[in-house]
Amino acid sequence: MINLKIYLNNIKKYYDDKLVLDIENLEIEKGKITGLIGPNGSGKSTLLHIIAGLDEQYLGSVLYDSQVMKQEHYDRMTLVSQKPYLFRRKVYDNIEYPLKIRKVSKIDMIKRVNKVIDRLELEDLREKMAHLLSGGESQKVSLARALVFEPELILLDEPTSNIDPDSTKILEREIVRFNTETGATIIIVTHNREQTDRICDNIIYLEKGRVIS
Amino acid sequence: MDYIINGIKEAGNLLISLDKDVFEIIFLSLFVSLTSTILSSIVSIPLGIYLGIKEFRGKRLFSRLVYTLMSIPSVIVGLVVAILLSRRGPLGFLDILYTPTAMIIAQTILVTPLIIGLTYNLSKNRGKNIEKVGKTLGAGRLDVIILIIKELKIDILVNIATAFSRAISEVGAVMIVGGNIKSHTRVITTTISMMNSMGDYPMAIALGIVLLIISFGVNSLIYSYQGDD
Repeated sequence: MINLKIYLNNIKKYYDDKLVLDIENLEIEKGKITGLIGPNGSGKSTLLHIIAGLDEQYLGSVLYDSQVMKQEHYDRMTLVSQKPYLFRRKVYDNIEYPLKIRKVSKIDMIKRVNKVIDRLELEDLREKMAHLLSGGESQKVSLARALVFEPELILLDEPTSNIDPDSTKILEREIVRFNTETGATIIIVTHNREQTDRICDNIIYLEKGRVIS
Repeated sequence: MDYIINGIKEAGNLLISLDKDVFEIIFLSLFVSLTSTILSSIVSIPLGIYLGIKEFRGKRLFSRLVYTLMSIPSVIVGLVVAILLSRRGPLGFLDILYTPTAMIIAQTILVTPLIIGLTYNLSKNRGKNIEKVGKTLGAGRLDVIILIIKELKIDILVNIATAFSRAISEVGAVMIVGGNIKSHTRVITTTISMMNSMGDYPMAIALGIVLLIISFGVNSLIYSYQGDD
């Protein structure tokens, strides 16, 4: 258990009496990028939602640093969806949001927002209304909004599906850079085996709700 | 036919000449309906948002109850408030029956289920996604409610406008609890009703025009805001 960030124990999730997730034991290593792969309907997104605390209707336990998940843990993690919801405000304001609710000082806030805008190459979009952006642009803004408050754990649900190769390259580069610089744990759901080869340290394969390898 | 044309002409004169009686009635109507809509909104919007995203036992029953109350006849609200505020009623000691305060209370009760119901429905359908994003970014319960209100502000404004329209156009409740007393509790709808029964059409038509202009103005404001967004 030492050095493990997340430990899932006897997780069972049912949808209308159908068992969709059945994980006996799963350990996710601290500070690594872990790829979560498997066919559609294998329970990947459900697993992310359970870890993120968005789905509480399951059996079993999720431990974070050997502790049962609490609000203080959820405050230090985030989830980026496949189809991100961006607020109906400017790109800059979207990225600023997590810092605002954490009451970060104005100077620090500007510095941190500008840093992620620069790194994700969003300079041209900073004054645009976020909900009017294209798919690739939205994904970049969504990742910037997630990275800006420097979470310990980032859950990425197919962040590069349906986006152009250039945006994919930028996202992958920044995911790896964030992991290297901060030591954050990153779990990424993907269908792309080449992507896992490029950026992941570990791979978990799910099929029919069970961990195969 | 002549009396209708003359009625419209005289109505125009009353409005153009800024007739004191007419403007007193318009002002009181706006004051009562705006106050009741604002008071109700302060409570009903956060409550509607919260109930929409919250899962609780009896949620289906709750929504049916609220939807039923959304269309409650205004005379029933007026009657209940009048009974409560009448001298022999439990709140008779307040001595506010036949005052604008009583009218505000009645209209607040009338529009509250409407605002809660419309906001609840909005939050139930679109609030959950916003709540999910807010939570993943570290938002607490209050942050989430504020976030949803900000994200759905245009739809919420439309709901408020709908409630205001219901308030300013109803006649039953204000007639019962206000009593249509000249220069005291007389509003647009009660005046139109009274003038019609007296066969005095110019004043009724003038106020009818004003009611339409207010309605048009509120809707134009909302839709121009929607267009800007």
